[in-house]
Amino acid sequence: MSDDKKGQVTDTGHVWDGNLRELANDPPRWWMISFYASLIWVAVYFILYPSIPTLHGYTKGILGWTQIKEYKKELQEIEEIRAPYENKLKGMTPAAVLADRELTSYTINAAKVLFGDRCAACHGAGGAGNPGFPVLADDDWLYGGTLDDIQESITNGRQGMMPSFGSQLSAQEIDTLTDFVLALSQGKGDSVPAGKALFDEAGCSGCHGPDGKGMHMMGSANLTDGIWRFVAKDQRESVKYTITHGVNDGSDPKTRQAIMPSFKDKLAPTDITKLTVYVHELGGGQ
Amino acid sequence: METTEKYHFEVVRWFSVAAVIYLVVGTLVGVYVASELAWPFLNFDIPYLTFGRLRPLHTNAVIFAFGGCVLMATAYYVVQRTCAVKLWSNGLAWFTFWGWNLIIVGAVITLPLGLTQGKEYAELEWPIDIAIALVWVAYTVNFVMTIANRKSSHIYVANWFFLGMMIMITYLHVVNSLAIPVGMFKSYSIFSGVQDAMIQWWWGHNAVGFYLTAGFLGIMYYFVPKQANRPIFSYRLSVIHFWALMFGYVWLGAHHLQYTALPDWTGSLGAAVSLAMIIPSWGGAVNGMMTLSGAWDKLRTDYVLRFLIASLAFYAMSTFEGPVMSIKTVNALSHYTDWTIGHVHSGALGWVGMVAAGALYHLFTRLWKTEMYSPKLVNTHFWLATIGTVIYIVAMWISGIMQGLMWRDYDEFGTLTYTFAESVAAMHPYYAMRAVGGFLYMLGGVVMLYNVVMTIRQASTNPSASAEPARA
Repeated sequence: MSDDKKGQVTDTGHVWDGNLRELANDPPRWWMISFYASLIWVAVYFILYPSIPTLHGYTKGILGWTQIKEYKKELQEIEEIRAPYENKLKGMTPAAVLADRELTSYTINAAKVLFGDRCAACHGAGGAGNPGFPVLADDDWLYGGTLDDIQESITNGRQGMMPSFGSQLSAQEIDTLTDFVLALSQGKGDSVPAGKALFDEAGCSGCHGPDGKGMHMMGSANLTDGIWRFVAKDQRESVKYTITHGVNDGSDPKTRQAIMPSFKDKLAPTDITKLTVYVHELGGGQ
Repeated sequence: METTEKYHFEVVRWFSVAAVIYLVVGTLVGVYVASELAWPFLNFDIPYLTFGRLRPLHTNAVIFAFGGCVLMATAYYVVQRTCAVKLWSNGLAWFTFWGWNLIIVGAVITLPLGLTQGKEYAELEWPIDIAIALVWVAYTVNFVMTIANRKSSHIYVANWFFLGMMIMITYLHVVNSLAIPVGMFKSYSIFSGVQDAMIQWWWGHNAVGFYLTAGFLGIMYYFVPKQANRPIFSYRLSVIHFWALMFGYVWLGAHHLQYTALPDWTGSLGAAVSLAMIIPSWGGAVNGMMTLSGAWDKLRTDYVLRFLIASLAFYAMSTFEGPVMSIKTVNALSHYTDWTIGHVHSGALGWVGMVAAGALYHLFTRLWKTEMYSPKLVNTHFWLATIGTVIYIVAMWISGIMQGLMWRDYDEFGTLTYTFAESVAAMHPYYAMRAVGGFLYMLGGVVMLYNVVMTIRQASTNPSASAEPARA
């Protein structure tokens, strides 16, 4: 260090701003050696890897490395582990998968991330649902909870329709219907006889069934179980809104949007099979 | 008053005070956006407050408002004192002061409104880009002409670094900002696809390499020997590492685009030269620290020197970390994670922020010819800044490496172990920790601002001090 050489080290002889001087020390030895080593490193790297552009391309490097090769190699390692399962899965029905224990555990593992990245944004982590997006972990199904139903929902999507009644019914009638639907959900439908009459008269029972239990065929909700797709703090307001504006009714700009997209162009058939099994096994499969 | 001064220092005073104000404002916005990531309700569904709009405001405020004012204050100060002449043009210096601040006002208005070119660290739209070019060239011309008029025989090393920064930033800013305007506040880059990405990161990394490194090394080369009252350790070392940085840095940008559509050769070249930059970077850190040889005891009593030396330690650390992150295998893990954010902040908070604080404290005592109102508060600022920086970077190391590992983790079936949302949830505690680190750092800035205001008031109420009364 310069301390040791005090008195021997001279400065460059220049002075700035009163007292700024520079000593004539050599750079530390380790620093100079490392500096030259850095230059050698660059030269060696340029020989090993693609590095230097030329008129018609670039030097390829003697290692033959390319990022695509590296990517494909890593992908291949993973695919080799998956291959036995994936090959088996091809053409298998979800029911057949469920009959094979090992394949089922592969499928559930693989589908966890598929579900987390593709489905959970709407249906919640673990299928716990969100307001406007059905819970998938219970046994209340709009379109049915069999493996076939679930596979169909994922493959082709679902888009039910409930007409908007705001222009057909008076405000008072909508209030009465709302009271009835809320009572029905608590098993007390009979306590609102006027509502029950209106329910049949306005055509609600046509889709929701005479007992209000809904139909999987058209995705009409079961109104008797107290499970609300359009769940809200003020459930009365929410029910009223649904009756007034309908669901997916293009003629009412304030209608509720409720669309399950189709995944047949977004996921491989085996991935849809995996998700079908996964959703079925979330707890409510039938 | 100006005329009785040996140098044009009034503009330096204004830049210095502005820098401290922008330090507080810029870090405040940073703490807010960091908190938004930890507690998203903080955007209150107001578009102007969303992370996407405030984050560029934060980066522009700390880099260009704070960093720019520090660079202009110190360059104008250093060039006059080391050339022993007044600025070539005091008027042009004032033009840069008001021009630069007007640009900052432009950023504060346009960025929250969502007017952006979408280029990182170059978000501002074309009219503001033109203004930046004009002010920057005025700054450069004034600096060069002052050197041309110098009374000293040689050009002091600090000025080489300032000059290198000015020339390179002019070139980088102009090329990266080339765009076709289609409206008053809308334009499209003239580059497209991967070429646009490459130009962007050629600029992006050199904003770090020249603006935040070369410029602040210029600051180091004046303020460290001055504050320590020791000669620079090695003239030869300064020459070698200066030219190595000037020639080396421009190649690094490609390491931001590893494993993308960028051709293989470009990414490798960026990585190779990045690793070769460790030693030239350390040249500056070594030269600064060795300058203190025989005067290490000063660190016990001189809090300003503490800032300067601690900044060199952070500089040495982050110039090691960066090249390591550019190696392909490390980059495959670190890229797109919070590790990058941690790395840039170890440089920004630890190196740039602390060397700037040291230089500014030195400036306040010289420009107002007084001692700091409270040296104890300088020490308080030092510890808040150091602890805040350490908390910040440790949080981002853990969070970033965890993210990288979670994203690539496979189970025994060869299927991904974690969903993306699970990795987001795992970040939460570290995002909260980062906000705390940033808050402490900001608090340090507030302490500094208070100390500076009191120092200036003290100087202006004490007529024996010959300094110009504070106006800022």
